[in-house]
Amino acid sequence: IPVSPQAFPLPSLPRKQPTVLVVCGPAQNGAIGLVCARHLRIFDYEPTIFYPKRSPDPLYQDFTTQCEKMDIPFLSYLPTEVQLINDAYNAVVDAVLGAEAEAAEGREPCAAILSTLKLIRIPIVSLDVPSGWDVEAGSSGGISPDVLVSLSAPKQCARRFLGRQHFVAGRFLPYDVQKKFELNPPEYPGTECVVALRALR
Amino acid sequence: QDEAQAIDQELFSEYKFSVDQLMELAGLSCATAIAKVYPPGSFTTSRPAVLVVCGPGNNGGDGLVCARHLKLFGYEPTVYYPKRPSKPLFEGLTTQCQKMDIPFLPEFPAEPALIDELYGLVVDAIFGFSFKGAVREPFGSILSTLGHVTVPIASIDIPSGWDVEKGKADGLQPDMLISLTAPKKAALHFEGRFHFLGGRFVPPALQEKYALNLPPYPGTECVLQLT
Repeated sequence: IPVSPQAFPLPSLPRKQPTVLVVCGPAQNGAIGLVCARHLRIFDYEPTIFYPKRSPDPLYQDFTTQCEKMDIPFLSYLPTEVQLINDAYNAVVDAVLGAEAEAAEGREPCAAILSTLKLIRIPIVSLDVPSGWDVEAGSSGGISPDVLVSLSAPKQCARRFLGRQHFVAGRFLPYDVQKKFELNPPEYPGTECVVALRALR
Repeated sequence: QDEAQAIDQELFSEYKFSVDQLMELAGLSCATAIAKVYPPGSFTTSRPAVLVVCGPGNNGGDGLVCARHLKLFGYEPTVYYPKRPSKPLFEGLTTQCQKMDIPFLPEFPAEPALIDELYGLVVDAIFGFSFKGAVREPFGSILSTLGHVTVPIASIDIPSGWDVEKGKADGLQPDMLISLTAPKKAALHFEGRFHFLGGRFVPPALQEKYALNLPPYPGTECVLQLT
């Protein structure tokens, strides 16, 4: 069951409506984005989803249905006019590519999405790996998210993350898995499922 | 009871939620509510030991999920799960608990006093909102033993053995009730100290359709304290 990042730090939204754009890629990272969008809706945000290349996986198709039945709109195209995105939404959730992506970022529609995302001015929250970054080396000239939510444990490229807040969502990992991979996770406060790692600035 | 079953059906057939998804969110709510009311530091037993009694159906499944999250929250849960459905969902949940080193008791403690000594809390995950008719063994004896324990009991959704609408005056009297999705009619008869709502997954359209009139959950919390 994918983790739903619950600690989206949007205490004071600049726009009147709590709108959030969730951009979902074709694989698991995108599916996590769908689950996230659903929970954002339950939390009274107004998410909109852009999900151009839909996975044939029945589980992910069900996630799509759940979002549709919750009246979450699906955009038919992503505006290339970046100002339109800046004006309509408070933040963008980047659920395009995760740690498993290899050549995918070179292929459409991901490449076009990423070039748009590089230009937007509103905060980006990336799920697990800033899309388009190499999972180990990071990226120069790639997108610069404001917030990173590492899933299970931070990936190597997270060292290059320069944004405002880095969260880890990995509370559900069994202890023997944590030990086996020497994850040394931080303490999670109370019953929270995410924990903020020390900000880099 | 019929309405609760209708809502469930709609969540699965129209909204395409899987039982796994909702059971995970339900079990997590239960563990969260328990952690708010009975934090690990508040136990008078030397360790924060919790006995989770799981029945033969979905309520038992909720209990297994709850036990796993209680472990992650720092408790030491022990499960008693005498009647296990041979379905992948329940087998998976059982394995997840076992791999987290959560012990499964081979038999139920014979005396209430033994439960009081070993555990600081009992989670009643025996029967849920689909319960109808007579209580079959071994649950009859289990419920009568639980009727005599003095440590708090937290019931998931319905105090086990109660009529889902009318309650049961001479039945289990839990200290805490965690209603899932929406409180059932039986909750009107609940006289314990803490009533929580959990299962924060009901789409707004469904809430309206069944006029659930649920009060708002605080922030991003997955539980809401009703009393």
